[in-house]
Amino acid sequence: MTRDPSPIVLRLLNLTPVLLLGVVLLLFGLQSNRFLSGEHLSGLLAQAAPLLVVATGMTFVLLTGGVDLSVGAVMFVGAALAGRLALDGHSLAFCAAVMLGVGLAGGLVNALLVTRLRLVAFVATLATLYIGRGLGRWISETRALNLPDDFNALASTTWLHVPVPVWIAGTITVAAQAVLSGTPFGRRLYAVGADREAARKAGFDTGRLLAAVYVICGGCAGLGGVLALAQLGAVSPRFGELYEFDAITAAVLGGTSLFGGRGRVLPGTVVGAVLLKTIFSGLVMAHANPYAYALITSAIIFVAVLLDSLRHRVLRGLARRVIRLEPAGQRDA
Amino acid sequence: MTSDESWIARAKHRGPRTLADGSAFMLAVNVAAFAAFAIALPDFRSPANLATVLVSSLPLLLLATGQTFVLVSAGIDLSSPALVGLVSVCGGLVMSADVGWLANHPAAVPVGLLAMLATGTAAGAANGFCVARLQMPPFMVTLTTAMFAGGLAVWLVHAVAQTETLFNLPEVFLALGRHGWVDGPLAVGAAFVAHVILARSLVGRWLHALGYNARAAYLSGVPTSRVIVCAYALSGLFAALAAVLLTARLETASPSHGRPLLLDVIGAAVIGGTSLAGGRGSVLWTAWGVLFLAMLGNGLTLLNLSDFVITIIKGLVILTAALLDQWRRHWRTTSASVADTVIA
Amino acid sequence: MSTDLPRSPSPAAPSAPDARGPAVPAVSWESVSRSFSGVPVLRRVTLQAYAGRVLALVGENGAGKSTLMNILGGHVPAESGALRLGGLPYAPRTPHDARAAGIAFVHQELNLFANLTVAENLHLHDFPRRAGLPWIDRAAMRARAAALLGQVGLHLAPDTPLDRLSTGERQLVEIARALGTAARVLILDEPTTSLSTRERERLFTLLATLRDRGLALVYISHDLEDVLRLADDVAVLRDGEVVAHGRAADFTGHRLVSLMIGRQVTQLYPARRDPPERASADRPDELGVPRLEVRGVSEPGIVRDITFTLHRGELLGLFGLMGAGRSELARILFGVYSAASGAIRMDGRPLAGGPRARVRRGMAFVTDDRRHDGLCLDASVTDNIMLATLAACCRTPARLVHAERVRATVRRIREAVRLSRAAEERQAVRTLSGGNQQKVVLARWLLAKPQVLILDEPTRGVDVGARAEIYRLVRDLADSGAGILVISSEIEELIGLCDRILVMRQGELSGELARDAFDRARLLAAALPATAAAATGAHS
Repeated sequence: MTRDPSPIVLRLLNLTPVLLLGVVLLLFGLQSNRFLSGEHLSGLLAQAAPLLVVATGMTFVLLTGGVDLSVGAVMFVGAALAGRLALDGHSLAFCAAVMLGVGLAGGLVNALLVTRLRLVAFVATLATLYIGRGLGRWISETRALNLPDDFNALASTTWLHVPVPVWIAGTITVAAQAVLSGTPFGRRLYAVGADREAARKAGFDTGRLLAAVYVICGGCAGLGGVLALAQLGAVSPRFGELYEFDAITAAVLGGTSLFGGRGRVLPGTVVGAVLLKTIFSGLVMAHANPYAYALITSAIIFVAVLLDSLRHRVLRGLARRVIRLEPAGQRDA
Repeated sequence: MTSDESWIARAKHRGPRTLADGSAFMLAVNVAAFAAFAIALPDFRSPANLATVLVSSLPLLLLATGQTFVLVSAGIDLSSPALVGLVSVCGGLVMSADVGWLANHPAAVPVGLLAMLATGTAAGAANGFCVARLQMPPFMVTLTTAMFAGGLAVWLVHAVAQTETLFNLPEVFLALGRHGWVDGPLAVGAAFVAHVILARSLVGRWLHALGYNARAAYLSGVPTSRVIVCAYALSGLFAALAAVLLTARLETASPSHGRPLLLDVIGAAVIGGTSLAGGRGSVLWTAWGVLFLAMLGNGLTLLNLSDFVITIIKGLVILTAALLDQWRRHWRTTSASVADTVIA
Repeated sequence: MSTDLPRSPSPAAPSAPDARGPAVPAVSWESVSRSFSGVPVLRRVTLQAYAGRVLALVGENGAGKSTLMNILGGHVPAESGALRLGGLPYAPRTPHDARAAGIAFVHQELNLFANLTVAENLHLHDFPRRAGLPWIDRAAMRARAAALLGQVGLHLAPDTPLDRLSTGERQLVEIARALGTAARVLILDEPTTSLSTRERERLFTLLATLRDRGLALVYISHDLEDVLRLADDVAVLRDGEVVAHGRAADFTGHRLVSLMIGRQVTQLYPARRDPPERASADRPDELGVPRLEVRGVSEPGIVRDITFTLHRGELLGLFGLMGAGRSELARILFGVYSAASGAIRMDGRPLAGGPRARVRRGMAFVTDDRRHDGLCLDASVTDNIMLATLAACCRTPARLVHAERVRATVRRIREAVRLSRAAEERQAVRTLSGGNQQKVVLARWLLAKPQVLILDEPTRGVDVGARAEIYRLVRDLADSGAGILVISSEIEELIGLCDRILVMRQGELSGELARDAFDRARLLAAALPATAAAATGAHS
């Protein structure tokens, strides 16, 4: 068994997201002293907050082996509705509640399509993506809505020197991880993601579990929409477009498997989302050619996905080794 | 058992199956949609409008055709619309009279076309390599490629020309996109060849098998890696063809060509009845799906419905298609197991 | 041989145990029937299991044991007939219903999750919670898990991830999970296939304790010695019917075997040709070049130092318990898995490359899991049959498939394998019965005219009629000069079919029996884990 380095390799591969974030932070830190300052880092987290929340919801769906392509559209519908309401003079809290409600409702629709009508998650959420984008444009009448200043204020307010969006995102991610690792619901998610048929045999209600996952994802999308709206201060017709891909990327960068059953919100998805925003912010700060951002970002994502597939293969190789080659008689000792 | 019984069995499960097999069903849907719009809208049935519907759907037809190969292999190619932009820029960098490498050179058009097709095919093959050899998930691979190709196109065009778009393409090249006389037969011909490859050729049948069950195909000696690379390369090649069409028709080379088509590409394949789970799919079905989407978009626009209502309706159509597919399959398995009961 | 036994079950059924109170059975199946894809698997089965007794259920693969238990466990509904639980009507619709009714099930295939810890696997259906809160009480969970693991004699930290465990350990975890439910009825389907003797002894002690506590136990096993030792009552199933049901004391191992196999035994296996001289190793020149030579093949954690030879026209059996590495060895031979060391030669030339290269050299492999890696279930019969040899039906330049040639080929081969006539060529193979599905797989490989054929559990889930057909095809292929390796966990099948049998145990070859020395007991002894063999030797 001397030629078997798998456990060490595996441990390193498991740490990939954190290591990658460390390397990126270090590189940009060497470029500019300001990069690692507390102020800049807290700004970075504030920027990452909406993505953190949405990607957290996405992680739940990915853990079950599904996918939700509609989160960006759901954010857009909520934001468009909130924008109209805000311009009609409704309060910030009311608007935020409406966005959250829209998110939960969108999630419920996805849940019904996937669990009751048994559609493939990809197709079902692709359809709701279309419908959501259409609805959002209808509500916003296909123009930009500039919001009152108190929305922006939400993004810039700090509490204990930390921006409020970071508090919100922090709470959500910590709560999500607590649910995933500490509740029966969370642990069963992993079981469903690993083997849906065996989970059904194990005797718990997989349908309700799957439905809950899509509702959670929708709710997170609604809340993420609130934070994104606060950051931007306006609803444009392209609000939330391709956000689903960012969210999936963040989760996958953090080590969540697209095949279900593996992944965490903390550190996983959080590291992934922060990594994405760090690269972007670092490139801005280093005055890199703005047209090269996409190239560099995609190259880093590629490396992360490649390492993840390597880890997957190592794990599969290990799973094959099923035979106990113990010295005879050991068990009787 | 007697032959009578087997005849009953066959009749029992053939009934719903003719409906279930995509082509006949999609033909009926398209005829119905055509009839409905033609009766309701005089403008719709004017020859000029019908020609517009057909011609404007060609780029989508090419992209969706390429996508069908990948979907049948149980993968997905999110990168093909982004490749259109990259390929278009490549063509412009060779051919444009302003900044082109072969500006005003007689060989500009053939070299330009070759470069475009080669770029698309190579990018597709790279996707295939990552999926087949490196065993990376197709969704993430092609998403990353989409990002990279989009970024590369923008970067290139800015590095060379400091603008978003490249103009002044050779007249011979632009003629490809005029009035649909050249590009129409070209695109339809390409789709037809693709249909034959997928439905009738060895590689095509291998693709189906691989999509149904990659392990079974591998264990039966199918060269799975090569076949997968082939599917993605074909998807890239068809993206390049779409790029040629769009670049010629719009008379500019731009990174943003093709970008808005991503959802329609997958939508058209799904509406046609190609399964995202792999195995089941046909270029013909996809062509029906493309035609249906094109008629729907055109007809609804003529009805003065706004763009957002059309988007919503497209979403509902995809949903309906997926539901119908679900029921068709249910039908088929239950009716077939009736046949099997007779077997015993 | 079994004609003296009544075909209907009731007369031989045991009356209620004398000392144990009322005669209400804990479970009774009343005239339960079920068929799959039109093939009847259970025919009006009537059977009782009593509290405080162990009912052993024996029968060949496909006799209906698992289906009978799956109906009880809520995995499959009965088509007709009724179940009663403690005298009350009982009709579970989901596994959850069955669990709530007090039925615990240890499945043969393990339903565990490698991405969770042992403790979590044990508690998936009822996590202990902190009072009034949604959180899992980890301390309570660990304590309960440790207690359950202790009962089955597994001394592991409850927080160990399951993917660190060996198959045997996982089997014990599966048993511990069933113990964790407050069950009235405990079903064990082949629970000992990966256990060492020590683990097995401990399990038997535990089962005896559970029985004395008043549980009704249903025990399914192929190991007839275990059955006779453990059981109070025995029921024998054959072709979906109960052919005998009575006190364990009334049965002997020999009688059980003849009951299980029934009358068909002579018709099931094709006649052999003259005993192959080739089996004698001292005249190698007469054998010609062997079809397959395997020398010292090892792969850490999978197989160790495998050496054997497969001759022309030979049907070589490979016996072993689940998890002994037989299927893994087959995959190494076929180039799916790599081997760290050793050499494989076919027809005198070294074998290299993956499955594609091997198929081109004339090798074929029927896997043990036709649904997952044998067939494209949703593809047509034609597509599945042609999968390995489609290239031969193509026009060369454009590689287009020659439809007429394909149709002719399929028509010819389906006659040869006697595929059911009602199975249409366009029909999805998912809708065929297990036997017809397996014939489709065989047809695919017969078209490739293989020189070496590896069959892994070729008759799993295949009805008796199709079995005989499959054996005939395999024998014909061997007679035409191919070398065939048959992997099976059914001793009778190997004895009936093969010219020579190898035995594997924990990744190593542990025995070889020539045809005149075929013996059930010796095969089993060689297959049991090393520690087990030693222990048995010490006892006797």
